[in-house]
Amino acid sequence: MIFASLFAEVLVNKRAIIVNYEGKYYFPTYGDMIPGTTFGLDYKYETNYRQLSVFFETEGDGNWILMPPVPYDAYENDLKEDQFPPFPPSMQEKHYLGTDTVGRDIFSRLIYGFRIAIFFSLLLLGFNYVVGVSIGCAMGYWGGKFDLIFQRIIEIWSNVPFLYMIIIISSIMVPNFLMLIVIMAFFGWIGITWTMRTVTYKEKAREYTLAAKALGASDFRIIFKHILPNTIAIIVTFAPFAVSGGVVALTSLDYLGFGLPPPTPSWGELLQQGWANLDAWWIGGSVILAMIITLMAVTFVGEAIREAFDPKMHTTYE
Amino acid sequence: MSVRLDKKPFVLNITITVTIIFSALFIYSCGDEKKKTIGIAEAGTIAKDEIFKAEISKDGPPKDLRWLTNNSDPLYASPEAKKGGTFRNAIKSFPLTFRTIGPDSNTEFRSAILGNQLSLTGLHPNTMNIVPEIATHWAFGKDKKTMYFKLNPSARWSDGEPVTAHDFAYTLEFMRSKHIVAPWYNDYYTKEIDKVVVYDDYTLAVKGTKAQPDLHLKITIGPTPRHFYGQLEEGFVRRYNWKVVPNTGPYQISDIKKGKFVKFKRKRDWWAKDLQYFKNRYNVNNVIFTVVRDDNIEWEYFKKAKIDVFDMTPPKYWHVKSRTPVIENGYVYRIWFYNDTRRSPFGLYLNQDKEIFKDINVRYAFAHAMNIQKVIENVLRNDYFRLEHGFVGYGPYSNDHIKARRFDLDKVDYYMKKAGWKRGPDGVWAKNGRRFSVEILYGSEQHTPKLVVLKEEARKAGVELELQKLDPSTWYTKISESKHEAVMMGFGTSLRPSYWQSFHSDNAHKPRTNNVTNTADPELDKMIEAFRNSLDEQERIDLSLKIQEKVHEIGSFVPTSMVPYIRQAYWRWWRLPEIPGTQESKSLFGSFDSATGGLFWYDKQLHEETKKVMKKKDKLPPVTIIEETFKMTF
Repeated sequence: MIFASLFAEVLVNKRAIIVNYEGKYYFPTYGDMIPGTTFGLDYKYETNYRQLSVFFETEGDGNWILMPPVPYDAYENDLKEDQFPPFPPSMQEKHYLGTDTVGRDIFSRLIYGFRIAIFFSLLLLGFNYVVGVSIGCAMGYWGGKFDLIFQRIIEIWSNVPFLYMIIIISSIMVPNFLMLIVIMAFFGWIGITWTMRTVTYKEKAREYTLAAKALGASDFRIIFKHILPNTIAIIVTFAPFAVSGGVVALTSLDYLGFGLPPPTPSWGELLQQGWANLDAWWIGGSVILAMIITLMAVTFVGEAIREAFDPKMHTTYE
Repeated sequence: MSVRLDKKPFVLNITITVTIIFSALFIYSCGDEKKKTIGIAEAGTIAKDEIFKAEISKDGPPKDLRWLTNNSDPLYASPEAKKGGTFRNAIKSFPLTFRTIGPDSNTEFRSAILGNQLSLTGLHPNTMNIVPEIATHWAFGKDKKTMYFKLNPSARWSDGEPVTAHDFAYTLEFMRSKHIVAPWYNDYYTKEIDKVVVYDDYTLAVKGTKAQPDLHLKITIGPTPRHFYGQLEEGFVRRYNWKVVPNTGPYQISDIKKGKFVKFKRKRDWWAKDLQYFKNRYNVNNVIFTVVRDDNIEWEYFKKAKIDVFDMTPPKYWHVKSRTPVIENGYVYRIWFYNDTRRSPFGLYLNQDKEIFKDINVRYAFAHAMNIQKVIENVLRNDYFRLEHGFVGYGPYSNDHIKARRFDLDKVDYYMKKAGWKRGPDGVWAKNGRRFSVEILYGSEQHTPKLVVLKEEARKAGVELELQKLDPSTWYTKISESKHEAVMMGFGTSLRPSYWQSFHSDNAHKPRTNNVTNTADPELDKMIEAFRNSLDEQERIDLSLKIQEKVHEIGSFVPTSMVPYIRQAYWRWWRLPEIPGTQESKSLFGSFDSATGGLFWYDKQLHEETKKVMKKKDKLPPVTIIEETFKMTF
């Protein structure tokens, strides 16, 4: 799914994949915008490829165009005369899941929204783990005063109401993608720290660590070469659940209106629209379905990883 | 290990503390329940000699004054109106205080209290002439600073005390006091109003600090019950939080339940009930404001007839939510009432302090790149109207020849090329590495759909819009500090256009002013100054038209849309006059306002009849009234 979403531009886009115009090939998907005049149209702004394809068909000059399966991007408003969005799903117009309240294609917004959400939570996971695992390991390994002080710091830190902080911060400035990750990671690293601390304590007491120490290995080497590989099972097992947590967190922030700025495609914003327009069932319905599928997939992957990394099978004592 | 052990008593402590707090809260809330009518009917217990009394002027008013009154303007209340009934409104939140002044007092509910406070004189909502309120006669002094008033001797406070000239002198004393903690009012009543001169109990003069046109708009102050407040002192704010202050208007608060409702009761023997412009108005016996925090819930209450009127101006309600049995079966009527009042200058304000908008061609191009027509047609269901400029609805002061710049790709091209910009590879205009990308600030979710359409359309014109929705207070700070590029917002209006605050260089490049476009144009400055200093009405009108042209020429404001009407739904037993409102009406079911309020009445017979029909689930013909008496011409 993630892999497919990387090529969303080819699957779901208002730009055509290939245009054959007077013997020349154009690939508008990636790259600069091609003004309408290039294809013999009378405007200078970006070509409307859907209209162009109708135009080519009626002309019948052998020009052809290959549109993506869903010929809408996540931002454009497909509005009609005498009718007001949201429009219900329509196979004929290729709005497979209908449009939202300003006429944007829901399927398209779901796909692009998914890509943003999943990468958001993967990156967030990365940040959290780097900080959380290193601090957790350090606490477990050195113990003593260092451990004690950090325990208190974490206790204080974890009492800061995380959601309020984000709401306050994002009402002062509109956060962008990276900033939102940093803010969330700021409060998100705590969870894994406790686990890592405990596990490291356990591993530290084992003979192989003692042996490594006796051989004169440095602390750094012991932590990263010996202890970390033995705790990897735990880290990896937690990961998928953290990913689904990240997706949910971003969606709920967007739902509340404190996430990424509009018009970024986002599930939370769609959910919000769905709630406000309950009679337009296709909005709420599609988001909820998409969320169920994604979160279930992530959880199944998580289960699989957990089984694959069963510590009984993968403990390495070096 | 010792650390772990230490924790337990701590946790226990917390539990105990929490329990104590909760039980305290419980006890407190129980107590509160019993005292629900705190503050009500607590009359002033001020000793007689402590009551404020102004010095009586020995000279008496000038002999050659020409006393004016007004009993010839058309009446707008219906002679058919009958008294009776209870009218239920919804308010979003319970007022934080009943004070109309000081901290936390600026809430939506304040208008309900102030609506029951009459002033010396009022304005007729259709003719805009002065009409009597507490004063029966008035006269203009030769210095163009002073107005003289004769009071109606029958005027009474709600506690039966007569209203005298001293009460108006006391208003000045009150408003200038430090104890009311209202710096804006302290300042206003010092800088705008010089003094109140009392000649006898029923004759007074109010003197402004400077000669000015439309003097009556500034000078007509209201009375303040001096026998109620007495000597002001420290702690005023807390002491008067929930006190019901005597008033001069048709209703007074009679019952409240904190957090739930406020009930106003009609005064059966109101002193002004038979006065010319108040006759047949304020017909309902009780007006109840119930707290309903959410629009959707309010709509449900309305459909159950627990609330009598619902505001249907937003297209969503008028077109979509109206498809509901109570309306289709004709139990609820809908009315679309065009009013003709000043329109908020709503639109995009471009900050000329930013490099990009210093060039007039770029400002013009920006205006031509905004496809507002498409927004109106496709998002706002053609229900809104294009705002042509920032000063629509000021009568002769509005320049109706000005037309806003329309969406026009050729013109964008023309102006951008003139400014020396070129289209970049992504189709957006660029010059010296700077793309024509503009950050648009706005403060409310409801503008998002309009802005996303504008954004997509602007792309065609080679302009990129970045939308930034911020929390209102942050948004305000950012504008005040002039950090914005463009902002979508509106302003309130006053009876005459106020150019100085929005377009004079005095207010440009400074924090916390209303000149958000940072307009500083010497020629415009001169005209604005002349406008402010002129005492001649015709000259002011001429200048006003010219100023508006100049503002249009500068092009730092892109007007968007306006709503020149109100739409409401109401249960059919509520009746309205033949012309259901006035030119100025912002609601047809306003209960109090001295100019536009209290025109509707309750029809008991219709109510009984409707109840019977509803019981039998019969249908009545659905009714939608479209009332265009005051429709503006475009």
